[in-house]
Amino acid sequence: MVQVILIIGLMLMLLGIYGFMQSKNLLKIVIAFTLFNTGINIIMVSVGYLADAKAPILDKLPDLNEIPNMVDPVPQAMVLTAIVIGLGVTALMLSYVLKLHQEKRSLDINNFKDLKW
Amino acid sequence: MVKNILILLLLLGVGLIAFDIFGAFTENKELSPTAAYYAENAAHEVGAANLVTAIVVTYRGLDTLGEVSILFLTAAIISFMLKFRKEEEMEASDLRPASELFITATQVFTPIILIMGIYIFLNGHLTPGGGFQGGAVIASAFLLMLMAKPRLQLSHRVIARVESISGISYVILGVLGIAFAGGFLDNRVLSLGSFGELMSAGIIPFIYSFIGLKVGAELSNIIGTMSNLQKENK
Amino acid sequence: MVSPIYIIVIALGIAFSLGFFGKSKLNFAGILVFLGLLGMSFISGQWLFAFLNDTEVNTLIFTAGFQPPYSISLQMGLNEAVLTSMVNIAGLLGFVYLFRELTTKGIHLLMVYLVFVMSMNVSLMTRDLFNLFVFLEIETIALAGLILLINRKEAFQAGMKYLIASGIISGFLLIGIIMAYQSGGSLNIDDLILANSSIGKISAIAGFLILVAFVLELKPFPANGWGIDVYTAAHPGIGSLVSAAVATTGLYLLYKVLPIVGSQFNDYLVAIGAISFIGSNLMGTRQDNPNRLLGYSSVGQVGLLTIILGLAPSLGNQTLPIAFSILVSHFAAKAGLFWISGIIQSNHIKDWSGLRSSPTLMLLFGAFLLALIGFPPFPSFYGKWELLLTMGGNQQYTIVLIVLLGSFIEAIYLMKWLGYVIKIERVEIPRENLTLHKQIPIWIMGLVLFAMGFLMNRLNDYGASIDYLPLVFIFLLFVLDFLPVSFKNTLSIGGLLFYFIHLWEMVTDDLIRQIFLVIFLIGGILTFVAGYAQKGKRPGFYPTALLMYLGLAGIITAQGMFDFFYNWELMTVGSYFLIIRGKRSMPHAYSYMLFSIGGAYLLLAGFALAAASGAGEGLQALQSISILPEWVYGLLAVGFMSKTASLGLHIWLPGAHGEAESDVSPMVSAILLKAGVFGLVVLFLSIGMYNPSAERLLYVLGWVGALTTLMGNMSAAFQEDAKRLLAYSSVAQLGYILFAFTMMTQMAWLAGFTYTLNHFLFKAILFLIIGAIVVKLGTHNMYQMGGMIKKMPFSFIAVLVSIIVIGGIPPLSGFAGKWLFYNAILEKGWYFQGALIFFSGIVAFLYLFKLIYSVFLGQLKDNHRHMNEISAWVLIPSYLLIIGIMIFSAFPKEVLIPISDAIAPYFGNDALVWEGTKAVSHLGYWDGTTIAIVVGTAFMLILAWLIVLSAKAQKVEQFNIVFAAERPFRPETTHVSYNIYAGFHKAIGFLVTPLVTTFWNRMAEWTLDLAGWGRRIYSGSIQNYTIHVLFYIVVFYLLSMGGY
Repeated sequence: MVQVILIIGLMLMLLGIYGFMQSKNLLKIVIAFTLFNTGINIIMVSVGYLADAKAPILDKLPDLNEIPNMVDPVPQAMVLTAIVIGLGVTALMLSYVLKLHQEKRSLDINNFKDLKW
Repeated sequence: MVKNILILLLLLGVGLIAFDIFGAFTENKELSPTAAYYAENAAHEVGAANLVTAIVVTYRGLDTLGEVSILFLTAAIISFMLKFRKEEEMEASDLRPASELFITATQVFTPIILIMGIYIFLNGHLTPGGGFQGGAVIASAFLLMLMAKPRLQLSHRVIARVESISGISYVILGVLGIAFAGGFLDNRVLSLGSFGELMSAGIIPFIYSFIGLKVGAELSNIIGTMSNLQKENK
Repeated sequence: MVSPIYIIVIALGIAFSLGFFGKSKLNFAGILVFLGLLGMSFISGQWLFAFLNDTEVNTLIFTAGFQPPYSISLQMGLNEAVLTSMVNIAGLLGFVYLFRELTTKGIHLLMVYLVFVMSMNVSLMTRDLFNLFVFLEIETIALAGLILLINRKEAFQAGMKYLIASGIISGFLLIGIIMAYQSGGSLNIDDLILANSSIGKISAIAGFLILVAFVLELKPFPANGWGIDVYTAAHPGIGSLVSAAVATTGLYLLYKVLPIVGSQFNDYLVAIGAISFIGSNLMGTRQDNPNRLLGYSSVGQVGLLTIILGLAPSLGNQTLPIAFSILVSHFAAKAGLFWISGIIQSNHIKDWSGLRSSPTLMLLFGAFLLALIGFPPFPSFYGKWELLLTMGGNQQYTIVLIVLLGSFIEAIYLMKWLGYVIKIERVEIPRENLTLHKQIPIWIMGLVLFAMGFLMNRLNDYGASIDYLPLVFIFLLFVLDFLPVSFKNTLSIGGLLFYFIHLWEMVTDDLIRQIFLVIFLIGGILTFVAGYAQKGKRPGFYPTALLMYLGLAGIITAQGMFDFFYNWELMTVGSYFLIIRGKRSMPHAYSYMLFSIGGAYLLLAGFALAAASGAGEGLQALQSISILPEWVYGLLAVGFMSKTASLGLHIWLPGAHGEAESDVSPMVSAILLKAGVFGLVVLFLSIGMYNPSAERLLYVLGWVGALTTLMGNMSAAFQEDAKRLLAYSSVAQLGYILFAFTMMTQMAWLAGFTYTLNHFLFKAILFLIIGAIVVKLGTHNMYQMGGMIKKMPFSFIAVLVSIIVIGGIPPLSGFAGKWLFYNAILEKGWYFQGALIFFSGIVAFLYLFKLIYSVFLGQLKDNHRHMNEISAWVLIPSYLLIIGIMIFSAFPKEVLIPISDAIAPYFGNDALVWEGTKAVSHLGYWDGTTIAIVVGTAFMLILAWLIVLSAKAQKVEQFNIVFAAERPFRPETTHVSYNIYAGFHKAIGFLVTPLVTTFWNRMAEWTLDLAGWGRRIYSGSIQNYTIHVLFYIVVFYLLSMGGY
């Protein structure tokens, strides 16, 4: 079961990478980045998965030395952080794209080669 | 053409890495040692029913502080970007006004969304949710308002104040942890209270509230700035 | 102790509270940020202080009050204390530097700046992998914000490229981290290091992904277009932070995660570093944008450090000290250079010549560049030395080659830059940028550089033998540079004299060293005497000249390879600054420096290989080389020969000596060249007379010496430029000396020493006199001179004496040299080479005649009719040297017998038997004293006779013989000695075709072409840079993990 999730994550990641390499449009590159990021987040979630376990939210205080049946909460906490970071980076990228567009009225990456060699 | 083949080859290469990851991946049969510790002790030590929250706010509190800083940075940088052209008078843009239906719905829903957001971050230690989620919901209310009234200018001043106050409070709560408990961001400054109640888990509800306010302010700030940038772009 | 957690508290507390400040209180906000940075520096500084005083131990700071791995912990150990201090100092000084820019643009960038510095602190200290990731992301985002400090389209593009590339890199890092968690069950770095023992495929992939991400964060060549663009486009104040602080952090992070990955990647790290070090420096050779150039150089330096990290298993506990010494040089130098760049504000390195208006900045600029290349007394010198000797000792010769090659390529463009700044026409720098708050950070970084050099010196085993007092004296002279020449000249002479007396005690039982000490320091004093003739202030002359003499004296007193090489480098630096002073010297000083650095690196390689034999690092270890002796001796010999300008390595000499200032020429020709001779003497004595492993080498070097002689003499004969003629003559004379020493017999060595002494004496005289004449007449060209004998009789006599010595004509000491020389050749049986030497001896007469004839005899030029004698300050040292020649000529025995005795332990003592003043060899005898008396008497008689005759001669004024129908459009053709040897040139001129020059030029062109071709990968396209990053990951994966 969890393998399916992992495959989806990996495929999304690859899709994002394909987008990086293939798109000429800056906005599409940013979208590719979010795909890439989402793929990675899905991969992360899949790592903490346990079959037949519950969400890591307890109904009652567990007894001492009792390990409740639940999925690993650590990757979930990490994903939470990663999502926020991804959000920040994406927002920043988008505002950069806006700024670049203001500059040249274009989103084609080939127009942004002022620095080279 | 050559480039396309190269891209394809590269994709194959990255695919190979992905394939290897998939091949080497084995499904967990039990919790990892770290996770087992959390499952066993977190509820006792931290007092939060939502273990993810316990980890995010307390055990890995430094990560969360970092996270907040990232949003903070992003908001600051985007505001800075906008300022470049602000001196030159922004020309009045002719954005299409929103429909009456939409405006009315916005008026109805905005307070509900705001309350929803506050509810989410206040109950972060008990139910799925927390400061980031709550903050995002709050920001969505502002987004709605902006869509309804494109000419609306969010008050940067108020937003900045909310952001600053909640940020400083967060840091001060962290320092209180050093003073009155085990270390930076320790939540046991207040008593853990009784498990499962709103006022439990030490200062987690307070921290999450501040995070919620801060994230809400930051995201609103980003949205507001971006919409200004967009107006400028027209 | 204030807990380092307060670094976070201070930074975030202030950053968050800045939201309260409006536009009117920006300065106040700026001061608050400054105080915050000060506090952060204080916290890391006090820990550093405590660690250095051993009052504190490695401390783990737990957050949230729980033990790791359940909560995030920060570690504060010596490494962390050092590095956070570096980062915070860079951050603090950088803030002072950028104060105006940051505070005039609102609060936002102030916040970003503070969080930026804080994020590096935390990522250095944290022991949690995911936490590391978070703060790395903060750093990335903050940097993407700081790039915007400059409102230019280039900055936006660079920021976008940077964001996308680091987004991809951190994506892969994230996968690596989660996979590491999956296999290791923890996010704590120490846990993961332990878990590494249970290697499974998933942990291997995790390790790979983490490693490749941290490597890519270091912007390795060639997947670094996005990083280079940041250096180019960002404000130099930000560039300095990226280069100094971010690179420092990145390297430590790589070091920190390396144990998780395990040691199987170490070789790959070395390879990655090597590609970066050499490739990036190669790209640097084609740069003329200072920021971009510094960017390439940064990547190169980081590459070198990556090599060192990869070598950790073989370097052992030396790894961190070596890495630190190179890192701190890079840190201080790059920060300083970027800050200077911000003052200059130009897109072309040539515009940096404006630095000359600020002596302090100029000094620091030079220091920064030399520190990057690895010259003493800067810390990187110690690091490179230690690295190379350890590698040589481990027989890892490839590493030695890579490090030296990369360093040399870096020197190519850094020295070119230095030359531009010293020489080319001054471009004024914007005055308003020369404010104190922009300069103070640079000064402090300079201080850090020198202080760290001193610290490294004290940590080095041989460092104690380095005397810092003379360096202080030199610095004092630099401070007193505003005083007139006469004062500084006297001070310098006093200093040299004092140092001579001081050192004399150290060499009292070693005649060979005494001889060279006299040549170097007494020669130095004599050439300084001529300096009284100079007017004005001669800014920068005395410190650099003394630096050269300090190095020269140092190689004599050196006991170990280390202090020998240290002083060798000091001498190189000093002489470079001396040579470049000439009006047209820039290209010549550049080629001199490249050959010197190349030669020095060959020496270094030789020493490194010598270390493999395990005989220690003393100079006497050269006597017991058991591993690759031919290579060791060959490398060292060729290294020294780059200084003696032997055939193939000589092309720098004519220009460097010919174009130097009139009193610098004798310094670099008569004195400096002897440094190479001294090196060869030490080397050959270590090799010993019968060393089978060096026989072939010595034979080849003998031929090189002979051919050098021929080439030098012939080229001298075809010169029209008086000083170049003398320069080529030096090449030839050094060829004789090399040839003599390679014969390895007592007779040959006596000849060699005689030549060495003679060359010192006459070349000093000739360059002093001819140099002064050239200045006086305002031309180098001999066809524009003539008839000076009556105007400058004293000069004439001095030159005459000198060329009698060169020609080897009795009665002067040159004959002694010749006599010993031919005896030695016949004894040795090197007839072919001997014939060559003999032939070139004849050729020597051609240029000697040309020199004295065209300058002093013949037609006096019209515009020279009112010339008079050159300055007495030049004549005095010349005549003192002539007295030396006379003594040596009249009493050769008193000099030769001690030398015979000194070299007897090495070669036996059967070359000469002395009967009274008569020296008897197996082949004949020679009596210098008697010859001197006989020839002297004959000369006096003839002179007297001529004087008597001349009283009867009719006096005529000279007149110009160019007359009648011809109008000389090419005035040189009217001088009889112009192209006087055209016939010879037609016959044998092909022998002096500048094949060697062509060869080296081709090499240079080829290198630049390679760089030009290579840098086309930096196409400027965001997408291409993304593809480079992915390509890097995939190729690295296939190579390292493909066969898993």
